[in-house]
Amino acid sequence: MSQHFSDADLEAYLDESLSSDRMADVEAALRDESGLADQLATIAGRRDAGVHSLGAIWRRQRLSCPTREQLGSFLLGVLDPDHSAYLQFHIDEIGCRYCNASLEDLREQSAQAAATDTQTRRRKYFQSSAGYLSADD
Amino acid sequence: MADSSNSDPRANPDQLLVQEIRQGKPDAWTNLIAQYEGRLLAFVESRLRRRAASEDVVQETFIGFLTSLPNYDTRRPLESWLFSIAAHKLTDYLRREGRRPAIPLSTGDGSDGNWELVGKGRGASSIARSGERKGLEAEAIADGIQQQIERWQKAGDWKKIQCMELLFVVGVGNKQVAEKIDLSEQQVANFKFDFLERLRKIVRSQRLSEDVFPELHEA
Repeated sequence: MSQHFSDADLEAYLDESLSSDRMADVEAALRDESGLADQLATIAGRRDAGVHSLGAIWRRQRLSCPTREQLGSFLLGVLDPDHSAYLQFHIDEIGCRYCNASLEDLREQSAQAAATDTQTRRRKYFQSSAGYLSADD
Repeated sequence: MADSSNSDPRANPDQLLVQEIRQGKPDAWTNLIAQYEGRLLAFVESRLRRRAASEDVVQETFIGFLTSLPNYDTRRPLESWLFSIAAHKLTDYLRREGRRPAIPLSTGDGSDGNWELVGKGRGASSIARSGERKGLEAEAIADGIQQQIERWQKAGDWKKIQCMELLFVVGVGNKQVAEKIDLSEQQVANFKFDFLERLRKIVRSQRLSEDVFPELHEA
């Protein structure tokens, strides 16, 4: 089925900054729809001629992206509710590729830290108790 | 996102890190890799879905960072710079794989394409400008947008940021924006008008060409 892609979507496609799923949608549509290739070529030509798009500037310079610390606070659930709701929107609805990657990394780090903590705790239990191990007579 | 415009490296750990990398300190380089490889890998892997290929692209990104280091302006956030290199390397990889087509510059109708600005009647040659000029124009508008966003953030006016992101970053129409974030169409139109008017003022005050920002004159 033919999908609609806005010029802003295609600008982001050219910059490899559209969400991954949407990037794949554009690639699939480009194989089937010659009109989409024309739309993309027009945008590329306009860019080469020096015409700016507000969305492209916004995305490239990440003007509304949260800081890494704010993303961390978001994950911990310690941001105020309105700010947190906005970040959820930025991540899901806008599909910010950079913030999604950063969030994924933070989750991974958090999981690794938890795994390390578990290992450390088990080692401590083992080391403090191993001396009481004795083989049955 | 906060920029790194503070010129004192002590106040900006990324600037200090880059300064040490420029001095050839291996520990600093190890530190940068440790800090950024996770998010770069997540960025690339979300597209490629293959770990080994993604790691190759991230490796090329780090090499690309070192080779482009003389051009890196430390006022620019390091993370954004690394992501932009990763995006280029990823694009190159996808082109080599044949997944991403090369885009022709014209529509193939033998003309210059239909990129000309509506109602202005100007051709490519008259607005073709140096990369430096283009950079200045983009910076001026980015500063203007950033100031508005910061103002809205301070006031907790998140709806306005959502509204402008949907309109300009996603390219959704007024009606859809209104439905998505529970505003009236008139409110969306008013927010959009105020936002664009502020940007038009910036363009005029800095004596930039309004022709290169066609969206500033959209209804």
